[in-house]
Amino acid sequence: MNLPSFIAKNAFRNKRRSLLTVLSISFSLLLLTMLISIWRGFYLDEPSPDAALRIITRHRVSLAFMMPIFYREKIRAIPGVLQVVPMNWFGGKYKDDKPENMFAQFGTDPEEVFKVHRDWKVEPEQLAAWQRDRAGAAVERKLADKHLWKLGDRIVLIGNIYAVNAELTVRAIFDADEAWQALLFNQTYVEEAVPYAKGRAGIFAMLVDSPDAVARISGQIDEMFKNAPQPTKTESEKAFQLGFVAMLGNVKAFILSIGLAVVFAILLVSANTMAMSIRERTREVALLKTLGFTRGSILSMFVGESVMLAVFGGLLGAFCARWLLSAAASSPAMGGFLAGAKVTAPTLIVSLLVAALVGLLSAFVPSYHASKLKIVDGLRHIG
Amino acid sequence: MSSMTEDLKKVATGTRSIVQARSISKVFRRDSFEVTALDKVNLDIAEGEFLALMGPSGSGKTSLLNMIAAIDQPTSGELLVLGENVFRFGDKEIARWRNEHIGYVFQTFNLIPVLTAFENVELPLLLTRLTRSERRDHVMTALKLVGLEDRVDHLPKQLSGGQEQRVAIARAIATDPTIILADEPTGDLDSHSATEVLEILKRLNHDHHKTIVMVTHDPHAAAYAHSTRDLEKGMLLPV
Ligand SMILES: Nc1ncnc2c1ncn2[C@@H]1O[C@H](COP(=O)(O)OP(=O)(O)O)[C@@H](O)[C@H]1O
Ligand SMILES: [Mg+2]
Repeated sequence: MNLPSFIAKNAFRNKRRSLLTVLSISFSLLLLTMLISIWRGFYLDEPSPDAALRIITRHRVSLAFMMPIFYREKIRAIPGVLQVVPMNWFGGKYKDDKPENMFAQFGTDPEEVFKVHRDWKVEPEQLAAWQRDRAGAAVERKLADKHLWKLGDRIVLIGNIYAVNAELTVRAIFDADEAWQALLFNQTYVEEAVPYAKGRAGIFAMLVDSPDAVARISGQIDEMFKNAPQPTKTESEKAFQLGFVAMLGNVKAFILSIGLAVVFAILLVSANTMAMSIRERTREVALLKTLGFTRGSILSMFVGESVMLAVFGGLLGAFCARWLLSAAASSPAMGGFLAGAKVTAPTLIVSLLVAALVGLLSAFVPSYHASKLKIVDGLRHIG
Repeated sequence: MSSMTEDLKKVATGTRSIVQARSISKVFRRDSFEVTALDKVNLDIAEGEFLALMGPSGSGKTSLLNMIAAIDQPTSGELLVLGENVFRFGDKEIARWRNEHIGYVFQTFNLIPVLTAFENVELPLLLTRLTRSERRDHVMTALKLVGLEDRVDHLPKQLSGGQEQRVAIARAIATDPTIILADEPTGDLDSHSATEVLEILKRLNHDHHKTIVMVTHDPHAAAYAHSTRDLEKGMLLPV
């Protein structure tokens, strides 16, 4: 035996209580790890090199307002803009209103959309087939897998915004990152059926020639349409996606306050358990001191015990969070909302540090009192 | 005061004296009232002595033992143990000194329930510089001495009271201390186990030259000692 193994034996001497402590810490740390990961995915993740070259223009007032299609060529004329493609939210119903049957559908220009999104992978023959078929659809692979769509399958989308049902044939299946689990079709299809859809675009997605040009070009576009009846707002793709998150409310404050509440609650629970467990061992503390254990060694033994339990719980929680988030990210039911939220090594380390800190703080006061205990009083302690 | 200490030290260098108590008193103050646990006790214990301390409950026996073990400090008087005024030391030095020189045996054994017999005996050795295998040798020697080498992996709850007390004695002697202090070591034992424990103490004194101070109520136990002193209301009665 050595001191660490003595500490470990003490930590698990009351198996049920230790297990409950570990579990409650692991649940809190699970929550905390998920919160940190979501935060990181939303606010800290750098966009991929390709995404950093993409900017989005929309109507200044709201996404619900459309812009004239001639903006496309005016934007294209700005130096540094390589590609421009309109993307129109179709919002059709597939089969029924069940959440698992909801996914994003965009009417766009098949000739250019894969040039803006250079990181999407598609077979050239499939792309060509889609470009030839005005009633064709290109679907993202995870979405296709979920609905068991194959090339040549028919998909009917019942129009909500536009009075037309889109009857499409799957012509291409492409690979994209998790944020883009979408179905694309030729906007002309809608425009032919619904004349008032003609000549309008919901958003424009652009590819620019360098990340440094993003701010300049965004400013130039918005300046160009400032006094037009449909003014614009242009931002990076990342900022645009965060805009959706912001629609949920003050997400930062929400995540932060839940995180703090979780940590504080577990601190109290753990402090209470440690105080109880140390008080029960008052006589043993006196014995250890009689054997020659110093104040410092008693203090570090108890604190070590608590930190050990907490880190154990933290590890459990963090790995459960990792597993849960990877399951959630690949689930189309989440619509790619948690796509960026992964438990990375730094997140894991932060979570474990928080766990260790909880262990340390919760045990410090009772351990300190135990270390100061007078042997005479400890030996006379009944209980 | 200081000249008195000098005198005591001179005595200590002659025939080695293990404990020299000069007029030590212990007063416990709790809120408004005071208890005098020890009242001007003078006591000399020579090396190799086996002393029994007797006296009614509350007469100060445990308090005296605690002073010798440097567990508690006298309120007044001079106390030298192994020629040292231990209370001059800081917390760390006192702890190390106790680990090295004192073996303490309690009435209620005080074994750690989650540790095996072996591990309980090893506990004080964790504070020394001994290697793992040296610790193992010490533990096994101590357990053999108390006749429990075949109970190494037993937890306290798997042992009888007499066996638990023998493990506790093994723990007390594991660091090879000079002094063994036993506070009513047979108080919780049946007479058979008590005899075993007393035989072990006698052997430790006779064969291993340990100085032993044993508190007891039991005249049969006291008979194992070389000499007996009586305490009453905190005062040591004359021989
Ligand atoms: N830590 C303490 N606080 C207050 N009173 C104590 C303390 N220790 C001992 N006493 C009192 O001192 C007296 C002597 O106690 P003790 O030395 O335990 O006697 P004994 O061991 O002979 O039974 C008793 O009256 C006891 O109540
Ligand atoms: Mg007593």
